[in-house]
Amino acid sequence: MGQRRRAAAVKNPSSQGVSGGPAESVRVSSRKHNICMVSDFFYPNMGGVESHIYQLSQCLIEKGHKVVIATHAYGRRKGVRYLTNGLKVYYLPLQVMYNQSTATTCFHSLPLLRCVFVRERITVVHAHSSFSAMAHDALFHAKTMGLNTVFTDHSLFGFADVSSVLTNKLLTVSLCDTNHIVCVSYTSKENTVLRAALDPEIVSVIPNAVDPTDFTPDPSQRQDDRITIVVISRLVYRKGIDLLGGIIPELCLKHPDLHFLIGGEGPKRIVLEEVREKYQLHDRVRLLGALEHKDVRGVLVQGHIFLNTSLTEAFCMAIVEGASCGLQVVSTRVGGIPEVLPEDLITLCEPTVRSLCAGLEAVITRQRSGSVPSPASIHARVQNLYTWRNVAERTEKVYDRVAGEEVLALDRRLQRLRAHCGPVAGSIFAFVAVLDFLFLLLLQWLVPDRVMDVAVDTTGPRRLWRQEKSSKNEAHSKGATRRAAELHHSDGFHASASVLAAYMMPYYLYDAD
Amino acid sequence: MEDEAFTDINGKAIFLDCQSHSSFCREFTVSSPKVSIGKVMVYTCSVWLLAYAVFFFTQNTAVLSSAILITLVGMMLHIHFVKVDHESLLVIGSLGIQVSSSYASGRETTTFIEMSKIKDIVINEAIYMHQIIYYLCVLLKDPSEPNAVSSVVPLFQVRMMHNVLISQMETCFWKASLHLERLYFPGKASNKHIVNHSILFLMNIVSLSFRVQSRG
Repeated sequence: MGQRRRAAAVKNPSSQGVSGGPAESVRVSSRKHNICMVSDFFYPNMGGVESHIYQLSQCLIEKGHKVVIATHAYGRRKGVRYLTNGLKVYYLPLQVMYNQSTATTCFHSLPLLRCVFVRERITVVHAHSSFSAMAHDALFHAKTMGLNTVFTDHSLFGFADVSSVLTNKLLTVSLCDTNHIVCVSYTSKENTVLRAALDPEIVSVIPNAVDPTDFTPDPSQRQDDRITIVVISRLVYRKGIDLLGGIIPELCLKHPDLHFLIGGEGPKRIVLEEVREKYQLHDRVRLLGALEHKDVRGVLVQGHIFLNTSLTEAFCMAIVEGASCGLQVVSTRVGGIPEVLPEDLITLCEPTVRSLCAGLEAVITRQRSGSVPSPASIHARVQNLYTWRNVAERTEKVYDRVAGEEVLALDRRLQRLRAHCGPVAGSIFAFVAVLDFLFLLLLQWLVPDRVMDVAVDTTGPRRLWRQEKSSKNEAHSKGATRRAAELHHSDGFHASASVLAAYMMPYYLYDAD
Repeated sequence: MEDEAFTDINGKAIFLDCQSHSSFCREFTVSSPKVSIGKVMVYTCSVWLLAYAVFFFTQNTAVLSSAILITLVGMMLHIHFVKVDHESLLVIGSLGIQVSSSYASGRETTTFIEMSKIKDIVINEAIYMHQIIYYLCVLLKDPSEPNAVSSVVPLFQVRMMHNVLISQMETCFWKASLHLERLYFPGKASNKHIVNHSILFLMNIVSLSFRVQSRG
């Protein structure tokens, strides 16, 4: 161990010129990549993008790639942290502007991101979520630094209103240089291709995954004298909570044994509370509030039917989780939802109160007559549909393809921007690209790449991190989610987080004394 | 030792000197080169030229005199508070460590950390200005709570590059031991993973005397 370390230390000053560095490391480790995931959204923030990044990273680490994550600082959590299996997370102190997304000035994030890319010897930059300004910044800077980029889009967008038009224009510019784009469903691919005016050839579809071992059915938790409909979503407009507010009184009136179990929190909670108040349904409609990920299964298994009323959805994880717990799934036919589950496992309705009521009633009748497949058989069919290992394998192929591509030189990049994004926006962003390049030159003059410390690898082919010898590999997929859940929910994590905070507090806090 | 060139995080040369006073007592000194006269000239000239340009347009002599004042005061403040001439770390087995830094003006600050308060000496990684750097620091513990870290004290003001820290660790600290997987927090079982993994990487350097102490 000591020897290796010394060897690494001796090599540090000699490994000069970073532009050559990444290419070398690719050659040495044949097809193993140094990946940097960049997104504004990462734990401790909760959501689909966050868990996607975490799970994907864990599976890529298992495959022997080096993965680091860069996100912005959350409260006191800034600096460098390590998660399970040596997954390194940089919480960079960038200013948050709106909705956990950082302010984008195209420049201010360059020094820190450059530092991350250089010291970690990154070869592929993988940005997530079109809502994340940091992701777009990273794509832009990575291109300036001559790195290959991949972008994953997690959401659908409209075309009609002003905000969509602007975001779509920005996306066009941002994705114009990106080597490869990943979408979570075919609907999402179509949407992204249209929005960003992309060549469909460079857009791949890799669905999200759920951890089937976390969502197992347990029929004993159900109460047989009633039929329970479970809804788990954030209570926001996009999730169609207004529709839900229309469905509840109509169905409760018809079926006295019908109960609703609603998990989630959000601004539309008031709608449901009003409905409950107005129709005196306090005993039949239970609002559980915000649920932690580990509690979701406990709620799901209590129900017979899972209802999803989303108005737009790129890929709905919730219905897969519902089906994995053996529930009958009723959902709106929007976005990528029809692609997600086989037809006989899901009842699709139009996003109207009437259509949803009709669909639910059909399922309730089937449930009463007992002609629905057993929870165990549904689980057996769903469990192999979406796994993270599969996602990681497919993502790996994208990286392999991207790693071989050449990065456009500045002049050709500018031409491409102007040809691709229209004369006005193209010229503006070509100018920004030139400024970014000049800024990079300035930074390289101030702090040359060769004086920057090379980080010690914690993952990937040259890691100095000893894997624990246990049966972890088998139980990995299961363990990963559980650990993720632990990580974010249990008191244990918070305790350890505060301890870690003591270790990994940013230097400048101590600099004063 | 001396033939190896060490640099700080900005690529400037620094010198590392290790002295062994006795088997219990060692001293490490990091010194940076003196302020070069050229640099002083450049800064002074640029301030004065700027002042002269302002004077040329405003015809106000107060600008010139204030420029002189600014350069003088700036230089004084710089050598008194910023420019570190040399820093030394005196490790005395079973007693503690003494950190002293002397500035170019001759000002000297000294801190002593007694052994019972030291939990460990580690290399940590942090964001510093617009860079991410490694630095050497002492972890302090509260005697009443021996398993928790109460605070972190960075050891040198001259931020050294990683290779300096490591070579220092490997060649100077006598019988430096890398015991990577020592568990610091025997807390809940579920924490172990996370904590162990995060600590694992903060490469530990604890001298023999420290370990003797902890065994005793």
